[in-house]
Amino acid sequence: MSHRTESPVGAPAPTGTTPAPPPRRGPGFWTIRRRDQLAGYLFVAPQLAGTIVFVLVPLALVFWYSLHEWNVLSGTFTFTGTDNYRALAEDPKLPGVLRATAFFSIGLVVTNLALALLLAVLLNQKLRGTVLFRTLFFSPVVVSLVAWTIVWGVLLQDNGGINGLLRTAGVHGPNWLRGDVTAMASVIAVQLVKNVGLNMVLFLAALQGVPHDLYEAARLDGAGRWRQFRSVTLPMISPTVLLTSIITVVGSLQVFAQIAVLTQGGPGTSTTVLLYYLYQQAFPFHHFGYGATISVLLFAIVLVLTVVQWQLRRKWVFHEQS
Amino acid sequence: MSSPETVPPLRKDRLGGLPLRLKLTVYGVLMVLAVPFIFPTWWMITSSFKPGNTVFSYPPQLWPSDATLAGYRQAFTLQPFAQQYFNSMYIAILVTIGTLAVSSLAGYGFARIRFRGQNALFLVVLTGLLIPSEVTIVPLYRMFASWDMVDTHWPLILVPTFGAPSVLATFIMRQFFITLPGELEDAGRVDGLGRFALFWRIALPLSRPALGAVAIFTFLHSWNLYLEPIVYLSTRSKFTLPQALTQFTDAYGGPLWNVQLSAASLTVIPVLVLFVIAQRQFIEGLAHTGLKG
Amino acid sequence: MRQSRVLRFAAVATAGLLGLTACGGGGDKEDSGPVSLRMTVWSSAAPHLALFKSIADEYKKTHKNVTDITFDPIPFDSYTTTLTTQIAGGKAPDLAWILEGSAPDFVSSGALVPLDDTIAKTSGYDAADITPAATKLWKDGGKLYAYPFSTSPFGVFVNTDLLKKAGQPAPADLIKSGKWTWDQAFAEGSQVNAKTGKAGIVIRDFDYKLWENLSTIWTGWGAQAWSADGKTCGFDKPEMVDAMTRLNKAIFTEKALPGPGTGADFFAGESAMTVAQISRAALLKDAKFGWDLVPLPAGPKGSYSVIGQAGLGVFKQSKHSAAAADFLAYFTNPENSAKLAQFFPPARKSQLNVDTLAKSNPLLKPAQLQSVVIDGIPQGVVKPAHSGSAELSQSVRSALDPLWKPGADVKAVLTSVCSAIAPQLSK
Repeated sequence: MSHRTESPVGAPAPTGTTPAPPPRRGPGFWTIRRRDQLAGYLFVAPQLAGTIVFVLVPLALVFWYSLHEWNVLSGTFTFTGTDNYRALAEDPKLPGVLRATAFFSIGLVVTNLALALLLAVLLNQKLRGTVLFRTLFFSPVVVSLVAWTIVWGVLLQDNGGINGLLRTAGVHGPNWLRGDVTAMASVIAVQLVKNVGLNMVLFLAALQGVPHDLYEAARLDGAGRWRQFRSVTLPMISPTVLLTSIITVVGSLQVFAQIAVLTQGGPGTSTTVLLYYLYQQAFPFHHFGYGATISVLLFAIVLVLTVVQWQLRRKWVFHEQS
Repeated sequence: MSSPETVPPLRKDRLGGLPLRLKLTVYGVLMVLAVPFIFPTWWMITSSFKPGNTVFSYPPQLWPSDATLAGYRQAFTLQPFAQQYFNSMYIAILVTIGTLAVSSLAGYGFARIRFRGQNALFLVVLTGLLIPSEVTIVPLYRMFASWDMVDTHWPLILVPTFGAPSVLATFIMRQFFITLPGELEDAGRVDGLGRFALFWRIALPLSRPALGAVAIFTFLHSWNLYLEPIVYLSTRSKFTLPQALTQFTDAYGGPLWNVQLSAASLTVIPVLVLFVIAQRQFIEGLAHTGLKG
Repeated sequence: MRQSRVLRFAAVATAGLLGLTACGGGGDKEDSGPVSLRMTVWSSAAPHLALFKSIADEYKKTHKNVTDITFDPIPFDSYTTTLTTQIAGGKAPDLAWILEGSAPDFVSSGALVPLDDTIAKTSGYDAADITPAATKLWKDGGKLYAYPFSTSPFGVFVNTDLLKKAGQPAPADLIKSGKWTWDQAFAEGSQVNAKTGKAGIVIRDFDYKLWENLSTIWTGWGAQAWSADGKTCGFDKPEMVDAMTRLNKAIFTEKALPGPGTGADFFAGESAMTVAQISRAALLKDAKFGWDLVPLPAGPKGSYSVIGQAGLGVFKQSKHSAAAADFLAYFTNPENSAKLAQFFPPARKSQLNVDTLAKSNPLLKPAQLQSVVIDGIPQGVVKPAHSGSAELSQSVRSALDPLWKPGADVKAVLTSVCSAIAPQLSK
């Protein structure tokens, strides 16, 4: 990942080293360079301290707790070594949870990126009313998540609005939140409609950044619309696709409210994704140590996915700035 | 894909122009796709005026036949809803202001100042992108418990402002500051401005679009938090809106749908109105977050 | 300087976390300074809270050091989770209601203060009046860790208007002729649904999640979730299979009960009958329909009754555990117990009579109190309780889910319930 961080330093920013401005008067020790050094530390200090206190220390503690058994009610905190990890490996519920997590994440990421791209391409046409549609598609992003989920929860009831509409059309709708497949599909759809506007806007900005002369050149080569899309548009917006896909993948692993409100992980455990399972174990079941062990697993998955996606970038992303 | 245009017309300004048939298809597709985006909000607002027992009536009423404000009145009597509204609002505002400060400072520091260990420190901060705060909810909970901050709003303010959620903001701000031309600051230096003055008077005013995007992201993130409040807060008057919304039940835990929908409408409408008024700044602000790669 | 803040934060973090011991300090025995007490409850019903407050106000008159007693309603859904989370955060309430399901967890954990000594020294308490059956669940090693302030039988609330509209006989008449059985109840529910479109029977709060409430049905078949010692699973036993097969048929073939994901509230007039505890009668204060309360129908094994219990305990973590225990003794003394009886049937023998109950219970008729409460409590089976209740409950719920569809393979599903919970039962 180091090349990402090299850019600021390698960038032309002439601060510090270029002695263009006249040296300011001041105590001999406090040269501009030293003042800048100090300023640099001070500027990043709040964020750095926050990261240490609220990210790194808790992460270390997650590992530490995962080696313990903490009984809330009797107030005991005992070292149990790798017992929690062994329990995790043997947890009969874990395969189902991982499967649900994978279904949810893949389902969400694929549909989200595809729909966002489709909407962005449609809205990038020179048409009247695209601003209105853009506003419509984006509006769920600003709707409170739990409000949105509650509304869908009511709509998806067996006698709720969606089946009511289907019934007027003569279709007998399924009991959405009570079937394994339909429950998962519902949860994905609710999250998809809620947030696809965000990726759509990012794609739209990227599409508008594609230089027109590239299309012209492609047309001169006789490329049709689909060819233009494949060989000009996609490569040019690939950096955006990569970044949004990373954010969407990581975000899909953080989905909690939708599950908690819509299905509580059911029916059975068909929508119990990893984060929801973590919450269940740690809070309702008060197995804090085991919850921490699941956290470690969740962290490992996020880490692996991000690194893999970042590596794919070389093959996949057409151009790299810097 | 089955475009009839295989011969390229060379009019530069008509590049996106579409033949009529395709145009109509695009409109048709857009309108069908828009239904699930609009219908829930529409249904929520209209149903919030329905009496409790008609929410599930068949055929579904797209317009309340006998409108009532009972749901809205109950929303305020069943819970300290105004207080909860205020909680969510002030927490989101504090977090937004705090994040803007923390992330613009750090973004500037990482983008425009050279100091020893910069790259290493940036990597340390970036770990926040990899470790969602949900992963560390257990230790964070114990940490705040040991500081006696459980059932207070502190965890909901401190963690988003300084922890993992603000790292994305810092990243966005850094990407933005990198693109500022160095000459602007050189001029300031000639005038004898110090580092903070360069940041405050030159870089920050130029970064309004990025700040706007960060503000929107941050506000919505805080406004939507659900796992954290239900873990940390247990007193009704301290609840935030998302948590409160799920708690509109009768005295014995039976859900009161129309009240839930009324309360939900109250949380949604102001933000939605604000968004519609300022949608251009909103969307374009987000589009220029530097997430373009 | 910021750096020093970092260091301070880090220092506090390490000190606070690594050295953190989860146990709270024991309560100081003699409270002299001002004391404020907090009791968590799961009812937010205004009449309940008003009654508690009036008892607390009386108590404060004679106990000047107790300046404040608050009743903190926590939503029922998340009650135990919130409570344990508060304990883990070192913010345990001084007193708390405890659900019968999680009683074994709390009673055996050592988180609660034994109440026997406080009760013994409270004058006029008359501990001998409390029925031993009621306190069984709340004792460990001979000590009482929570007082069962509510021993509430389940009954069937009936919307007599709706039944009349569907041309169905009133349950009260059926009881007289000895025909009040589940088969009859299901048949009436089915008819109501077919003729009026309203729901037939709603098992209140079950909602295809809180399966514990189904014990109000399966007990009639002689089934139980697990054996009395909590070691043997009862779901795969023939009685349970019969009961659940009958229930599945009632839901999906006869449509006597609304299916999963269908909202129907008896108290809003949306169903003909509901199985609920008598404290729910408060919801009928402004009912716009005629209603009755009758005992549970008889099952193949004859008539029976199921009770839900709620305990009241004092936490060791509380800074004022002695004062809290003292208040508990006051809250549940004979006089206040009689007041509480209008919502929460008491565990005191002397108060389990129609006269006492009717005095405080204007909504219910003496006959209803007699048949449901007074006859119900002595033979009542307590709803399932087990240690590790939250996890166990969730496991059963997940494993039962496949049962809630037409033509489910009941035997196979119930066998899978047993294999899912076997590891937890054997703990």
